[in-house]
Amino acid sequence: MEYDKILEDLLGRKEFLIVGKSIIRTDALDKALGRAKYTSDYIQPGTVVVKEVYSTHPHALIKRLDTSAALEIPGVLAVYTGADVPGENQIGYAMPDQPFLCDEKVHFIGDPIAIVCAEDEYAAQEARDAVVVEYDPLPANFTIDETLAKDAIHIHEGGNIALTSRIRKGDVEKGFSEAKVEVEGTYETPYQDHAYIEPDVAYAFPEGAGKVTVIGAMQSPFLVREKVAGVLGWNLNQVRVIQALTGGAFGGKDDTGPLVSAKAAMAAVKLGRPAALVYDRFEVTAYTPKRFPSRIHLRTGVDKDGMLTATKVDIKLDCGAYANRAPYWLWRQTVHATGPYEVPNVHVDGTAVYTNKVFGGSYRGFGNLAVHFAVDSHMDRLANELGMDPVELRLRNVLTVGKRTASNQLLDHSVGIEECIRGVAEASDWAEIRKPRRKGNKVRGVGIGTAHHGISTSRGAPDWSAASVILNEDGSFTYRTSICELGQGTPIGHAKIVAEIVGAKMEAFHIEIPDTDTMANARPTHGSRGLALGGTAAADAALKLREQMVNTAATLFECEKDRIDLRNSMASCKDDPSKKMAFKELAHEMYVRGANPAAYGFFTPPRRFFDPETGLGVSYPAYTFAATVCEVEVDLETGQVEILKIWPAMDVGKAIDPLLIDGQIHGAISHGIGIALMESIRLDAGEVINPNLTDYVIPSSMDTPEVAESILVEKPYRHSAFGAKGVGEPAIISIVPAISNAIYHATGVSFNTIPITAERLHAALRRGGQ
Amino acid sequence: MNLIPDVEVHRPKSLEEALKHMEAPGAKPLAGGTDLIIDLREGACEARNLVDLTKVKELDYIREFGGRIRIGAMTHHTDLVASDLIRTKAQVLSEAANLVGSIQIRNLGTVGGNICNASPGADTATPLLALGAEATISSSGGVRVIPLGEFFAGPKRTSLNPGELLTELSFPTPPAGSGGAFQKLGRRKGCTLSLINIAAYVELDGDTCSEVRVAVGACAPTPVRITDVEEMLKGKKIDEAVIGEVSSACYGLVQPSQRAHSRASEEYRREMSCVLMRRALTTALERARGNK
Repeated sequence: MEYDKILEDLLGRKEFLIVGKSIIRTDALDKALGRAKYTSDYIQPGTVVVKEVYSTHPHALIKRLDTSAALEIPGVLAVYTGADVPGENQIGYAMPDQPFLCDEKVHFIGDPIAIVCAEDEYAAQEARDAVVVEYDPLPANFTIDETLAKDAIHIHEGGNIALTSRIRKGDVEKGFSEAKVEVEGTYETPYQDHAYIEPDVAYAFPEGAGKVTVIGAMQSPFLVREKVAGVLGWNLNQVRVIQALTGGAFGGKDDTGPLVSAKAAMAAVKLGRPAALVYDRFEVTAYTPKRFPSRIHLRTGVDKDGMLTATKVDIKLDCGAYANRAPYWLWRQTVHATGPYEVPNVHVDGTAVYTNKVFGGSYRGFGNLAVHFAVDSHMDRLANELGMDPVELRLRNVLTVGKRTASNQLLDHSVGIEECIRGVAEASDWAEIRKPRRKGNKVRGVGIGTAHHGISTSRGAPDWSAASVILNEDGSFTYRTSICELGQGTPIGHAKIVAEIVGAKMEAFHIEIPDTDTMANARPTHGSRGLALGGTAAADAALKLREQMVNTAATLFECEKDRIDLRNSMASCKDDPSKKMAFKELAHEMYVRGANPAAYGFFTPPRRFFDPETGLGVSYPAYTFAATVCEVEVDLETGQVEILKIWPAMDVGKAIDPLLIDGQIHGAISHGIGIALMESIRLDAGEVINPNLTDYVIPSSMDTPEVAESILVEKPYRHSAFGAKGVGEPAIISIVPAISNAIYHATGVSFNTIPITAERLHAALRRGGQ
Repeated sequence: MNLIPDVEVHRPKSLEEALKHMEAPGAKPLAGGTDLIIDLREGACEARNLVDLTKVKELDYIREFGGRIRIGAMTHHTDLVASDLIRTKAQVLSEAANLVGSIQIRNLGTVGGNICNASPGADTATPLLALGAEATISSSGGVRVIPLGEFFAGPKRTSLNPGELLTELSFPTPPAGSGGAFQKLGRRKGCTLSLINIAAYVELDGDTCSEVRVAVGACAPTPVRITDVEEMLKGKKIDEAVIGEVSSACYGLVQPSQRAHSRASEEYRREMSCVLMRRALTTALERARGNK
């Protein structure tokens, strides 16, 4: 079904009742009052405390592992090493390069070697420190260049290159020969910590001999189930995973969920007792996956009319110790390498390399933050060289219906980036605020950034989603999905979609927390897919249930099915106002008459494909687009940047809830300000030297600027419920180049690395800015 | 990070009782705990006995008496910020207290704790130095009063002897014709540590600077007065041009950390000391002129 036609054709309404309207979140009060339950709230007294023994070497062979002293400590129940893993001692996400517990070799400071289990925290801590690990240290590679050097020691069998990617579209040399202006540059982005407010946590308890339940913080309950079952050597149905409300994730808990859960589950199963692993801020910051650092070399040509002629890109992705998500991250960067602009000739080479550092992982923006920082910085430099306005240059090249992406994917609908750019330019009064403004030691500037971000998984990996809805006997509804609530509210969006289709009031809904024993796999909450795919599975279920409800009402009212109206939890006949019935009665009749009151929905988007030789093909079902204008004020004496105002726009397909979208946009703005101006995990010889929130600095509320009303462009995606596209990631992608371009405009300094700290900007101004 | 080590906690209700507990071996006072608890967990300090002062209400006061403003060591930052006396008579301290940590930190943290933690960048240390503060130190054996500058012995170290407690900070009530200002540079705007902070205090006699004290934080092992700058201004006619000149001397007068992983480079701190000194003195002068 093409969901953009759902309103007229199926619901027979002129406007939506719930979809598109901002509501108060169904969980708002519980969260505001501290009543919402997070994983730690479930942990019962008497639970075994689990802690990890971490590698203190960045690269070393394990010579000897001695747990005897630790086991002597009163209150210590067990110490488990790789040899104790009942199933597979391997937990790599995309490639089998990552031991669950290292038994032969460690690859970074923080690699897990053993887990200790004790009656209390103190005993566990003492035991952790008493486990003896003797190392045979190896030389370590900490940088991309070190690890790619000819004589570099191999971090994994097979060498230091995890994988490569490429695009060959057109003829770049011909393209450059047609260029009037070329710019070239190397752009680097650092490790970024997710800094979610809730540290990683899992609570596991055995149920009988062959079953374990895990409650935890995560983004993909079914991935957690798969990994826990793998470590235990069990079938999937022997592991029950429940995702408790999760206090922020931003991609990070997609990776940590399985790692933490499997350790708690192994302890619980082996000891036959409930066990919990709870990280502290140090462990979160120093040892969990970060935003992959990358180094992108970009060469771009533009002709005299301002049309892009060629782009040549070299991407070096620093995986850290394990590949983890790198195949998907690098591939996503590769196919988005031109930004939301059409370039006829594209040549991209991507290389993901291992280093002996904390490994990279999923993170909001998934590679596209680095790519768009590079591309949009180049657009401003090109505009400067051409003497053209940056907005004008973008509008000449921007993707529109009928144009093709870097991977030659034809965009035949749902392309709203031009409207986004025009929208923010107009709202910010671009031409006016671009005029130079300096007062004393303060100078102002404005910049624009853009984003396009493919919805769903990368590399054409199969993707689907599932959902179920039950109409209970009293007219209330139970909605189930394994798309996770991480603060963003996606399951509420699903419930709104269902409520619109079945004509129910929102108050009639209860959204279950994900539980792998009671629902089918809706796949992960990542890739901006939770709403576009998950919500469409929800719509599929809702349509099936609606049919049963309409059939029953038509029989009872003795009228045609197309004359039945369902709204506000009432069924009625459009032709005879006296014929009406509350859902409570309708539900009763359905149960009595044998009309199925439960429905299961499933959705898979059109398949994508690519040619591995050229990288060309259909990369993603749809793209969300965004543009942001940012106004900054730079203190020329101190180098401090104040973000004065942000104008955001996004093509969301269809806004299911404008307020929830605002939540994502505003959050992403703060998040993006963080990496643009201050955030960076710093390492010294592989050791994180700012593993806390004192020295890993993230923006405070006082660093949050005024944000203009979000401009929501609606170019529906044909195959998703109501045309909705994901909104969680694009805003953080476009904000970063908007800030750096605004600083460029204000000071004449174009930065090719972030964060642009006050000290760095001050030094740059000293060197030759103003 | 580790758990808080095994430690005995005492909760005295009076100063006398507290001082008795302070005689226990390895005793440390616990005020707001916003620094101490973290230090204990990180193993940065050791304590066998914690003397929790939160119930010692006699150390929680702000009052003017005998020509001096007196602040009890257990006065919370929030109370400093809210105090009309501090805001009208010692604005430099009010400004600084308002920039300590977050609201939650200011509700828990105390001025005595901030001073005893002896961080080189402690935000209340520089304004108190600029105000000419003295520290009152009590023990079971008696009371001694020292200039605040002598209280700091090094990064995170004080000149307190075992068994002693800082009980009061006091300074002469600033007269008419005086003005002060606080400048702070952090890595973000809210809830931030000082990369450098500067407090300035001037007294005017007409156009002449009759008294001046300036102090800089996070630019030496302890918060320090920059007496060379003070001498360049004292007894001279003061205006914006003079301030510009003397401020640039800070570059060579401060001694920022040269550690590799410092929160800011030595060079940046030196340069910023000049900028912040000029801004602090300029504002202080403006305020002094308006304080008739």
